Amino acid sequence: MNTSGILRIENLKKYYQVTAGLFSKKVGDVRAVDDVSLHIKQGEVLGLVGESGCGKSTLGKTIMRLEEPTSGEIYFDGTDVIKMGKQELRRLRGKIQIVFQDPDSSLDPRMTVGDCIDEALIVHDIKNPDTRNAKVAELLEKVGLEAGFAQRYPHEFSGGQRQRIGIARALAMDPKLVIADEPVSALDVSVQAQVLNLMMDIKEKDGLAYLFISHDLSVVKYISDRVAIMYLGKIVELAGKHEFFNNPLHPYTEALLSAIVSLRPDGKEKIILKGDVPSPLNPPSGCRFHTRCHKVMPVCSQKEPEFREITKDHYTACHLY
Amino acid sequence: MTSKSISVLRKIAGPFYVNRRLLGYYWERLQKNKLSIAGLGFILFLAIVGIFGPLFTQDPTKADLEVPNMPPPGFTRQESIYNIKTNDFTNRTIEGGLTHPLGTDSKGRDMLAMLVSGARISLFVGLLATGIAVFLGTFIGVLSAYLGGWVDNALMRFTDIMMTFPFFLLLVLIVFIFGSSLAIIVLVIGLTGWTGAARLIRSEALSLRTRDFITASKALGASDTRIMFNHLIPNVISLVIVMASLSIPGVIMAEAALSFIGLGDPTSTSWGTILNAGQHSLETAWWVAVEPGIMLFLTVLAFNFFGDGLRDAFDPKASI
Repeated sequence: MNTSGILRIENLKKYYQVTAGLFSKKVGDVRAVDDVSLHIKQGEVLGLVGESGCGKSTLGKTIMRLEEPTSGEIYFDGTDVIKMGKQELRRLRGKIQIVFQDPDSSLDPRMTVGDCIDEALIVHDIKNPDTRNAKVAELLEKVGLEAGFAQRYPHEFSGGQRQRIGIARALAMDPKLVIADEPVSALDVSVQAQVLNLMMDIKEKDGLAYLFISHDLSVVKYISDRVAIMYLGKIVELAGKHEFFNNPLHPYTEALLSAIVSLRPDGKEKIILKGDVPSPLNPPSGCRFHTRCHKVMPVCSQKEPEFREITKDHYTACHLY
Repeated sequence: MTSKSISVLRKIAGPFYVNRRLLGYYWERLQKNKLSIAGLGFILFLAIVGIFGPLFTQDPTKADLEVPNMPPPGFTRQESIYNIKTNDFTNRTIEGGLTHPLGTDSKGRDMLAMLVSGARISLFVGLLATGIAVFLGTFIGVLSAYLGGWVDNALMRFTDIMMTFPFFLLLVLIVFIFGSSLAIIVLVIGLTGWTGAARLIRSEALSLRTRDFITASKALGASDTRIMFNHLIPNVISLVIVMASLSIPGVIMAEAALSFIGLGDPTSTSWGTILNAGQHSLETAWWVAVEPGIMLFLTVLAFNFFGDGLRDAFDPKASI
C-alpha cells in the first residue's frame, strides 16, 4: 500500500469486552473495528460508508485515540500515534479534528459560541486574549457566519449554523485531517448542500484531508475522492470514486448502489438484501457478508476472503475475484 | 481574586451573568408560579429580618422577671397568685402590651427579639450547611461520573456508607466530646448531608459525559480538570441550585430538632431552643411554643415552594 500520505492505519482493531455475571467474566468481544487498513493522502477526501453499527464512527474515534485501539498501527504524518504520551497526544489533537453528526449535542449549551471555539486556542496555549479573539472572529467568518455571533449561545442558532460553528471549532488549530462523522446527516437537504460546499471550499483553500463518514452514498459521491465500504467492522471495498460508482466489485456495494433513489430509473432491478446485519459480538464465519449475499458460494462461509487489489487502486474482499 | 478564578466563576454563572435574556426567561417562568414567588418573598423577608432585625429589637437574652409569660397584645392570661398573709388566692388578669409585641417567655424575655435571633440562626445554619453539602455533593458526583471505573465505585460505596450512617448519633457524639457550637452543627450537617446531592449530580453528569460536546472538548486536547470545571459543572449548576433550595428546609429542621433536644449551641437563641422552653409552659403561655412553630412551618414551606418553582422553571420539559 501507499506509504505516503497524512494518515496510515494498519490492521487496526477495536474490540469491546463483553462481561457478564457476578465476577464480570469475559464472555466475548464486540468487534467494532476488525483489522482495518487504509491510508489518506494530503488534501484527499476518503468517504467511509456503512450501515449504522458497522463501526465507522468507532474507527473515526479510534484514529484520534478518543477510543483506545485494541491493536494495530496508526501513523499520522509519519509519527506513530499509538506510542504517543499524553502531551504529544494533546498536540496531535489540534492537527486531527472531528466534526460530529448531531449539532444539538456537539456544542456546550452553557458556553457562548466564542468560548466554544476559544477553548481550542486556550488548550493549545495561545495566551494572548486579543490574538484569540481575532482568531475566533476569523474562524466564524471562514465558515460563513458573522464575527458578532461569538457572544451568543448555541440554542440561538439553527442546525446548519450550529454545524458551521462545529466546523469552525475543528478548524481552530489548522488541522491537516478532519474526521467528519456524518456531518450533514442531521440537516435538511438544502442545508446539507451548503455545509458540503463549505467543507469543499475549506478543503481547497487549506489543503486539508477529510475522512468523511456517512451512510448516504449520494453525499459521498459528491464530496469524496475515494470511497471505502465498511461492513461489520471490516473494509470490504475501497476504490477511487469513479471506479467505485461505475464498476463496483463487492456484492454488498452493488446492493448499496442499487438502493440509491434515482429520478431516472435505469431499469436495473434493485437488489434487496435479506435480514439484518449480524451481531458483531458473534460475526458469521468466513466472509461476514455471506449470510445476506445474493452471490453467495459454498466457499464463502468457510474461508475469509482476503482484502486485495483487483484492478489498480481498487481493493475488495470477495471470493468472486 | 485572580482573573482565572473570575473566568471560572463566569463560566459557572455564565448563562445567568452574561445572558440576561436567559435569566429573564427563567424569571418569567418562575413568576408564573405564584406560590413560588410568595416563598421567595418570605425568604427575602426572613433574610432582611435576620440581618438587620437584631439592630432594632431588644436583647433576646435579657430576662425581665417583672413581666414573665406576658401574652401578645390583644390576648390575656389569667394568673392565680397565692397571698401568704391572707392564705388565699387572688386572681389577676395579665394583658399583653406593645412593649412586647409578641409577648414574653417564662423568664420575661422578649419573644420578638428571640424569634428574630432564631431567624438569623436558622438561615445561617441552613445556607452554610447546605452550601457545604451541595459543594461536596457536586464535586464528588461530577468526579465520580467523569472518572468512572474504580474511582466511581469507591466514591459511590463511600456515599452508601455515609448515607446509612446515623448522623444524629454522630452529632450527639461530637457534641459530647467537643461541646456544642453553631460551627460544629454546621460542619456536621454539611459534612454528612452531601450524599443525596452526590448521587443526583452523578446521574446527571453521567448522561452529560456521553454528549458530543464533551468528546469534542477531549478531541481538542482539553484536560480532564478543564472538562469537569468548564463543561460538566456549569451544566449541572441549575440542578445544584434547585437541590440546594429544596434541602435547606431539612437542614433548618435538623438544627431546630437538635436545639429542641438540648444539643444546640447554648449561647444562641434558635427557634428550636424557644420551642423547647415553650413546651414546659404550654398551659400558661401557649405563644412561646406556637410562635417559633409557625415560623419554622412558614420557613420550611417557603423554601419548598420556592424550590419547586425553581425546578419547574429550569426544566424545559415542564409546562407551566
